[in-house]
Amino acid sequence: MRNSYFKRILLVATLFCFGFISAQQSVSGTVSDSNGPLPGANVLVKGTSNGTTTNFDGEYTLNNVPSGAVLIYGYLGFQEQEVAVNNRSTINITLIEDETSLDEVLVIGYGTQTRAEVTGAISTVNSEEITSVPVATADQALQGRAAGVTVVNSGSPGTSPVVRIRGLGTPNNNNPLYVIDGIISGGIGDLNPNDIESIQVLKDASTTAVYGSQGSNGVVVVTTKKGNRSGKPVLTFDTYTGVQFSNERYDVLNTQQYIQYASQIGDTPARISDPQYASFLDNNVNYQDAIFRTGIIQNYNVAMAGGSENSNYRFSAGYLDQEGALIETEFERFSFRANSNFTFGKLKLGETMAVAFNVQNPERASGGRSLLEHAIKAAPYLPIYNPNNLGGFQGPSSALDGQDAENPVRVQTLGSAVNKSVSIIGGLFGEYEIIDGLNFKTQVGLDYSNYNNEVFIPSYNDDSNGGTHTIGYAQITKNTGTFQSLTYTNSLNYKKTFADSHNVEVLLLAEKQQIKNSNINASSQNPISDEVDQLSLTGAGLSSGSSEYNRLGYLGRINYNFEQKYLIGGSLRRDASSRFGPNNRWGWFYSVAGGWNIGKESFMADTPFNNLKLRGSWGIVGNDNIGDYRYSATLITDFIYPFGGTAADGTTANGLPNPNLKWEETTMRNIGLDVGLFNDQFTMSLEYYFNESDDLLINRPLSTSLGFNDPNITENVGSVETKGFEVNLGYNDFEGEFTWSASLNLGSSKNEVQSLGEVSVIEGGGFENENLSRITVGEPLYYFYGLQTDGIYQNQAEVDAVFTANPGQTIVQPGDIRFKDINNDGDITSEDRTKIGNPYPDVTYGFNASANYKNFDFNIFISGVAGNDVYNTNIYDLEGMPRLFNSGTAVLDRWTGPGTSNDVPRALGAGQNVSASDRFIEDGSYTRLRNITLGYTLPNSIFDDYISKFRIYFSGQNLITITDYSGLDPEVGSSTVINNNSYEFGIDRGNYPQPKSFLFGVQVTF
Amino acid sequence: MKKIRLIFALGMCLFFINSCSENGLELTNPTQLSPETFFKNEAQVQASVNAVYANLQTIALYTRHIFFMMDNMAHENSGNPQLEADKREYLEFSFDSSHGAIGNYWDTCYRGINKANFVIGNEEAINAIPASFLSQARKDKFIGEAKFLRALYYFYLVTRYGDIPLITAIPEDGNGFPRSPKEEVYQQIISDLQDASATLLSKGEEEAGRANSGAAYALLGKVHLYRGEYDLALTAFQNIYGEYSLGNSVQDYRDNFLEETEHGPESIFEVEYNDDLGDSAKWNSDVSGAGPQEVTFRGQEYGMFDWFNVYPSDDILDEYEDGDPRFAANFYSVGDEYAGGVITEISNGRRAGWKKYQNYYKDTNEDQASGINMKVIRYADVLLMMAECANEVVSQAAAVGYINEVRARVSMPLVSTGLSKSQVFDAIVHERKVELAGEQVRFPDLVRWGLAAEVLGQYGFQAGKNEIFPIPDREISSNENVSQANQNPGY
Repeated sequence: MRNSYFKRILLVATLFCFGFISAQQSVSGTVSDSNGPLPGANVLVKGTSNGTTTNFDGEYTLNNVPSGAVLIYGYLGFQEQEVAVNNRSTINITLIEDETSLDEVLVIGYGTQTRAEVTGAISTVNSEEITSVPVATADQALQGRAAGVTVVNSGSPGTSPVVRIRGLGTPNNNNPLYVIDGIISGGIGDLNPNDIESIQVLKDASTTAVYGSQGSNGVVVVTTKKGNRSGKPVLTFDTYTGVQFSNERYDVLNTQQYIQYASQIGDTPARISDPQYASFLDNNVNYQDAIFRTGIIQNYNVAMAGGSENSNYRFSAGYLDQEGALIETEFERFSFRANSNFTFGKLKLGETMAVAFNVQNPERASGGRSLLEHAIKAAPYLPIYNPNNLGGFQGPSSALDGQDAENPVRVQTLGSAVNKSVSIIGGLFGEYEIIDGLNFKTQVGLDYSNYNNEVFIPSYNDDSNGGTHTIGYAQITKNTGTFQSLTYTNSLNYKKTFADSHNVEVLLLAEKQQIKNSNINASSQNPISDEVDQLSLTGAGLSSGSSEYNRLGYLGRINYNFEQKYLIGGSLRRDASSRFGPNNRWGWFYSVAGGWNIGKESFMADTPFNNLKLRGSWGIVGNDNIGDYRYSATLITDFIYPFGGTAADGTTANGLPNPNLKWEETTMRNIGLDVGLFNDQFTMSLEYYFNESDDLLINRPLSTSLGFNDPNITENVGSVETKGFEVNLGYNDFEGEFTWSASLNLGSSKNEVQSLGEVSVIEGGGFENENLSRITVGEPLYYFYGLQTDGIYQNQAEVDAVFTANPGQTIVQPGDIRFKDINNDGDITSEDRTKIGNPYPDVTYGFNASANYKNFDFNIFISGVAGNDVYNTNIYDLEGMPRLFNSGTAVLDRWTGPGTSNDVPRALGAGQNVSASDRFIEDGSYTRLRNITLGYTLPNSIFDDYISKFRIYFSGQNLITITDYSGLDPEVGSSTVINNNSYEFGIDRGNYPQPKSFLFGVQVTF
Repeated sequence: MKKIRLIFALGMCLFFINSCSENGLELTNPTQLSPETFFKNEAQVQASVNAVYANLQTIALYTRHIFFMMDNMAHENSGNPQLEADKREYLEFSFDSSHGAIGNYWDTCYRGINKANFVIGNEEAINAIPASFLSQARKDKFIGEAKFLRALYYFYLVTRYGDIPLITAIPEDGNGFPRSPKEEVYQQIISDLQDASATLLSKGEEEAGRANSGAAYALLGKVHLYRGEYDLALTAFQNIYGEYSLGNSVQDYRDNFLEETEHGPESIFEVEYNDDLGDSAKWNSDVSGAGPQEVTFRGQEYGMFDWFNVYPSDDILDEYEDGDPRFAANFYSVGDEYAGGVITEISNGRRAGWKKYQNYYKDTNEDQASGINMKVIRYADVLLMMAECANEVVSQAAAVGYINEVRARVSMPLVSTGLSKSQVFDAIVHERKVELAGEQVRFPDLVRWGLAAEVLGQYGFQAGKNEIFPIPDREISSNENVSQANQNPGY
């Protein structure tokens, strides 16, 4: 215990220096934590029994203190601090929460555990980490914070990221379960990150099996901030403001280069000599510059918290306004929260309630293409605006030239697109202590949201002589819907310690969840006015739908440990869901786990290990994200046949129902090792997991002679294996004026499909009439599939050498891409496609370092991924040259004769050149400086008593990204223009890049 | 003690609150109809029957492919260079089990059968509808329509694929059916048509476009004829003999193929098309029949002023006797009127282009959307089939009488009553070829007459193989009870 020796020497030295001064005095002051005064804290004169505790205002007075004494300040869950009195009569002290201590309380499913008692794999993200990066939603802040959690953010303001815990385990829904203050909810996108106390990510069977049929994708447990213990209300105000922008661009042709390129490929802009258009040649528009801008971010939060012996409360309000880096994209949120708790003897009552109003102006899609794709392809000589055209924009016309990219500025700015939503999440609970250690708890939780998405596009004609893009009427679309989830939970919990060493906790619980969804989608056209954005019957489309989903579950859990040394626990849950077929309505889910706190053994007492723990778990968990009513038989009315000159509707059975349909099931195994050295100065945690998912839903083609309209039956037949390891390393130095800490987390995940039943391949990720991603047995989920390139044919002999079985073909010529003849049949066909990439990263990591010196604080946060591939469809637009569009400057160096290029093929070449191939695959690994912050806390002395803390800071986000990826952003977030599904993972269709930002912030505590 | 009671009470409460809602686990989809709540009124029964017809309008059948298949294999058509490969393969008999349209033909017929089984399999539920909502006669006629259509789809299948899976009930699980001997399939077809002929309404009573009793008798007779059961065929045909009429002019013949004169006095069963009713699904519905698809590509595909993929073969043109007015009724040649003018040449130097089923009598082009109904069976076909039966089992004179009814309409010289049996047969072969040119009957005629190899051998037809199609690959890969080992001979 070198650390201990050091402390002892320090102590002896201190006593030696000041020990001879034997004068007695009284010392008083306030003990507080980061939230304010701390009542009940212990203050002790070192080496004596002279001590006291702080009152409700955190104040203490200690008499008879030798002027050279050392005071020890302590509080459960905080790091002990020793302070030399040094003749002072007033000592105010702020205690630092002891986060790495074994006594740290973790919120797990349906309860809490101390770190020492945990047998499962849990990652914890605290409130400081959540708010250190200015994000709109808390799930975005999970990125790089928790080992094994992969978060792919989108740059689009207000768009939730893709969150994957321990990789992929199913070809279907891989979204984790979200639980907010014990309430199962649809997501955490509507929470104000500032209201969050902590997020725990539950990753293994011992922690997720209590969620039964919903736990197999992992569980994100969010705890919101509650009022503090002090009697005095604490008001906090914080704000930041700044700018965000994206300064990455693709190199595209300018007007002169474009005209030259167009004429070289036989598509000279025809009417450019027309005097009406001649002046266009003077334009040189970079459409990328036209769609990007510098956006302003503002965020304000006010919170009031306080409490007394029998109650506590916290009220907060927040406002966020984030302007995106793309024009007219914005996200605004007003959020309110009220949490309170009351104690009446043995009865406790409490509530949480949050309301959020969101307004989003999304990136607008046109033709399923992103703004960026339009911007790359738009001809640079076309002006953005032209007052002579209906709508006021200029776009392509077939009379001008052959390209027909839409004007992205018109797509994004003509008319309006607004997504509004209101969400309410809250719960009410009562808890009664029946006998000592036995509590009955009942809780009801609500998650409600309502959305209202409206699009209005006035009529336009992008060229007065007949634009390629012209709509002669205003288009009005209004979609609205509600989501409502009610959860009722009743539980009995018994927790008792017998004979000071046998710790037992038993939980019995029943839970019911009811979810309702409904929507109405309406659209119409207005051919006579662009002024009225209301619906009518003209050109109307109307539909509505609703669905219900009910769950019922019973859970039993028992945890036992002997002196916190030997831990054992198990849970058993019986779950039913209306989503499961009548033959498989109820399922069993269970886990067993054990742990050994070696560090608590007496033989470890004289070693540097203050913590050494081995733990393991095994269990079976389910995934019920399989869609509502999927087992049931439905009818379809879409068979129209005319009788007597009138069309009549026909109805028939849609498909073959599968009454056996049930949850997907994952067998999880986890083994973990926790190490703490030198009183947690160094910490390390290692995990290894091995998950086998079975009963995965696969659509099997039915015998065609069965003749069903839906030619597939959905069956629980697939299986996937996922394994990986996780590492957490930490270093803390909290002594002296300069303190610092650093932590690294890293998680790996590798999956392999074991079975798809009788199905050989499942495809998705459509692009230009091909599928880019697929699933087959023996490969990872959603791998990229295509041809393999092998340079460019420089002459006919090279072509003939490949097309030996098809020598007469004339389509592929010198200058086209040479693909590898994978199946060696002497021809290049779609049969030569093979695995060309894997979109899922091998490793996801985060590194955080914080330092404090006097009143300055400094933080850097780095996150990254490695080993993943990105399919960059932008290369199709930049270098594909299937026909005339504006292109990347690479086309200037294209193949024009033998030896001219071995990378960029001839223009207008063989169709194969743009087939799915490794030409579009790039390494997506990146390391990103996600955040850097420098803060300064003003000395208390310059304010009067009303302000206890005043901190200002500057920060920057995403300022440096190290990657080989050629696109704007290697972090390919969910597309805003195409229906997102898992096959889209890692496909860059000009997706909204993550912006960089600079912020200035102020935090004040009154 | 008090505490223990409280614990017990709360423990009970734990499970009571939830258990009373266990029936919340049985939910029905509120957005879509479910079979449990269907078949409660006439509109629903009728909708279930309507759906069965929709597969006749798929791309695999009368919207795009069946006419290419039959007319090309019979070499009533020759192909222009632009004819797509999959349709050229019919001319050359070079198709195999991977042929898309041959797979779709199979698929769409079975989808029609499944829809028919959905109606017939719910007969009990239909019969449970109170008579005040739906009379027994109408219940029976709806079942009759489903049975007629099931028989028609099975007839399309058994004549083209031989032994096939025979499915007559709503499948309860995903297991595929093995191939049944075609004899069993025929017995099912005959039984369905007998039932249907008894319960269907007459042409006069029934809405145009729906199967009626005459259609059931006509198809029943045709099925018997294909099986060489001439007596039974004749008996079936006798039920409708005289119930239809041919008229007495070339225009009456021509009226069969015009939009305005659909469901005329000669019409027995037609596939309905109507250009006014929407065609947004016309490119999509290969097999399902879903969506608005109320037009056929027949005019666009054959039309000499449109895609002109095929043209009438020399073989069919040469078959017409001099002065047979049906030549000019069925084909355009140089000198014919078109679009207010006169045709001076036919592209590719062809002798003629199709006029039957073309819209050129009223429009200058087909616009990819023809509303002209396709005839499945008409009275002239029935008369010539009766002639065939009579020639076998009654007398040559009786047979010639039926032939002459057909010839008399277009004022062609009557066939002599003194011919031998084989001479009468030759006359029937000729008459069917010219009267029913381009109506998808000649290829199956040649097959059942045993003439296919003789007539079509020069084009690649292989006896013992090309009488039927291969079982499609998709069926072999998806049906565990049908394997390549029991693929049709030669494929």
